[in-house]
Amino acid sequence: MFIHRQNAFLYFILVVSVGYLISAMSLGAPIVDNGLTPSFFPIVVGAVAILFSTVLITQSLRNPPEERASDEPRNYTHLWVVAAIFVYIVAFRQIGYFISSSLFVFALIMIFSPLEKFLLKAGISVLVVAICYVMFQKLFGVRLPTLWG
Amino acid sequence: MDFILLVINSFSLLMDPFNLTYVVLGFLVGTIFAAIPGLTATLAMALLLPLTYTLSVETALMACASIYMAGMCGGSITATTINIPGAPSSMMTALDGYPMQQQGKGALALGHAALGSMFGGAVGALLLIAVAPFVAELSLLVKTTGKFSLLAFAIIVVVIAQRGRIPQAGLAACIGLMLATVGLDAMEPITRFTYGDSNLTAGIALMPVIIGTFAIAEVLMQACSPSDDLAVKAAAEQVKIRRRDFIPPWSDIRKIGFKCYFKSCLIGYFVGTLPGAGGSMGSFLAYTEAVRTSDEPETFGKGNPKGIVASESANNAVCGGAMVPMLTFGIPGDPITAIMLGVLVINGVQPGPQLMTDQAGLIAPMLAALLFSAVVLIPLTLYLLGPYFIKMVTIRKDVLYAVIALLAIVGSFVATYSTFQMFMALAMGVLAFYLRRNGFPVITMLLGYILGPNLEEFLRRSLALSNGNPTTFVTNMDSLFFVLLTFVFIYFLVIRKPVQKTAASRSKS
Repeated sequence: MFIHRQNAFLYFILVVSVGYLISAMSLGAPIVDNGLTPSFFPIVVGAVAILFSTVLITQSLRNPPEERASDEPRNYTHLWVVAAIFVYIVAFRQIGYFISSSLFVFALIMIFSPLEKFLLKAGISVLVVAICYVMFQKLFGVRLPTLWG
Repeated sequence: MDFILLVINSFSLLMDPFNLTYVVLGFLVGTIFAAIPGLTATLAMALLLPLTYTLSVETALMACASIYMAGMCGGSITATTINIPGAPSSMMTALDGYPMQQQGKGALALGHAALGSMFGGAVGALLLIAVAPFVAELSLLVKTTGKFSLLAFAIIVVVIAQRGRIPQAGLAACIGLMLATVGLDAMEPITRFTYGDSNLTAGIALMPVIIGTFAIAEVLMQACSPSDDLAVKAAAEQVKIRRRDFIPPWSDIRKIGFKCYFKSCLIGYFVGTLPGAGGSMGSFLAYTEAVRTSDEPETFGKGNPKGIVASESANNAVCGGAMVPMLTFGIPGDPITAIMLGVLVINGVQPGPQLMTDQAGLIAPMLAALLFSAVVLIPLTLYLLGPYFIKMVTIRKDVLYAVIALLAIVGSFVATYSTFQMFMALAMGVLAFYLRRNGFPVITMLLGYILGPNLEEFLRRSLALSNGNPTTFVTNMDSLFFVLLTFVFIYFLVIRKPVQKTAASRSKS
């Protein structure tokens, strides 16, 4: 296959680099009256990034990475963690530090451990959130959002 | 001499109960994070970064210094006792530390590691205190064109130091430079790559970049590569360490020889001054040198304490060396000094040549803390808490990662009380995670991001001063020096190596 799972990231970086270069070129001419403009440096960086991406993609196509063993399970746990963090950030201001953080910590503990001993893990989550509250709010004077405003 | 006196006077500030508490706590946190496989002192420092908002610069830097020192020696605990280096810089320590553990001399191996770390840390800190003011004075001679060449030199050296993955390192550096160009232009009133979002006008803040790169990315890495906790716990429970066995006998120290201690310290210190080299390279080179000069090289890897001493002396001496370019030129040598640079920037202190001359009072307490951590905290912590250190690996990883993620996300909120920074930290974490997963060194991305704004500004100023004449970079002596230095490094790190390989393959054939 032309695009392996392993080098899809390289294609993504290449696309971003091309987009960056096009945006940089839209800022105007790179040199005006013997002086460098704000577009010069990004154009150079974008071009170099495309060069490196192309080199890496070429290397990858010449020496395709070995396919993952079929019996090795694919691990998507990191995607659950990303989703949990995203939801936590969205909920942070809406429902306040205590509720959102307790749910977030509980969710992460569940992601990183077997689905058992729910009560114990819920208790640990509340304890962790309370300790972090004391540290941030009381010790370091950080104002954390609350449900009531 | 004035600076040395300033450092000596700074011990009074260090002994202030408030500051001392942070230094000791920082050391313990650094040791714990370095000892637990998968966590690093860099992560500890990234989590500490948001808290520095509420601390004075001096206190924050002192805590950073103690974390740094602890991070270099803490990794030796699990490297020695269960053959899993807690930190990459302790990989060489495991080669002789673990065989000693198997021979029932684990405590003695830890004692040798602590002594080597103490010696290396102290020599590195003393050399830093002695050398930094002179380098700072020299750095004042570097003008605009020279500054551009120096920054370009730093980025190029970090990239080519990543042997075997130079294109990946180069691309990561470009990504860092791209991130640095977002926001208001430094010289003209024009915004770049903000796409109409006012949150990006001031650019991408340092805090979410560091927290995302080191904390969130680490949690994601751990999520997709679960470790065998049960095996680690079982190995840890078998380890029995007695406090009285920690102190290495004088005969052992004489057999190792002070020459080995000093040589390893110097190797570590000078490796530390090179951008991107870090503790791993320092300990590797010192270990190799110890083997090369030994009368009994066959004993290395089988429990020779000289190997432990060489590795640990060097990686702790790196701490002092890595701070030289950071303090004098504003160029971080490794991720930890990059975060220290962040502490300075967050507190409105501009790193660079003027720092040591104008604000030496801010820096001196940090160097005092570095020395104090090496000479007092390393041996004291080992003696008092050594027998319990190994129990740290049995800590619940699920709770640990949840706490790290919570501290990271809330920490990124602290800076501006804005959820935008939290999203930015998540985005940076995801980016750094995929970079690491695909073999890209994130240190080059971070260096590109940190040095990018100055690199661009000095490039444009240099060419403006010379009416667009690019030969200005070779006609100015300060610039020419760094251009030549860059070529020297390219020769030794990129060109010479393949020639040797070719010669070796020819001789084989």
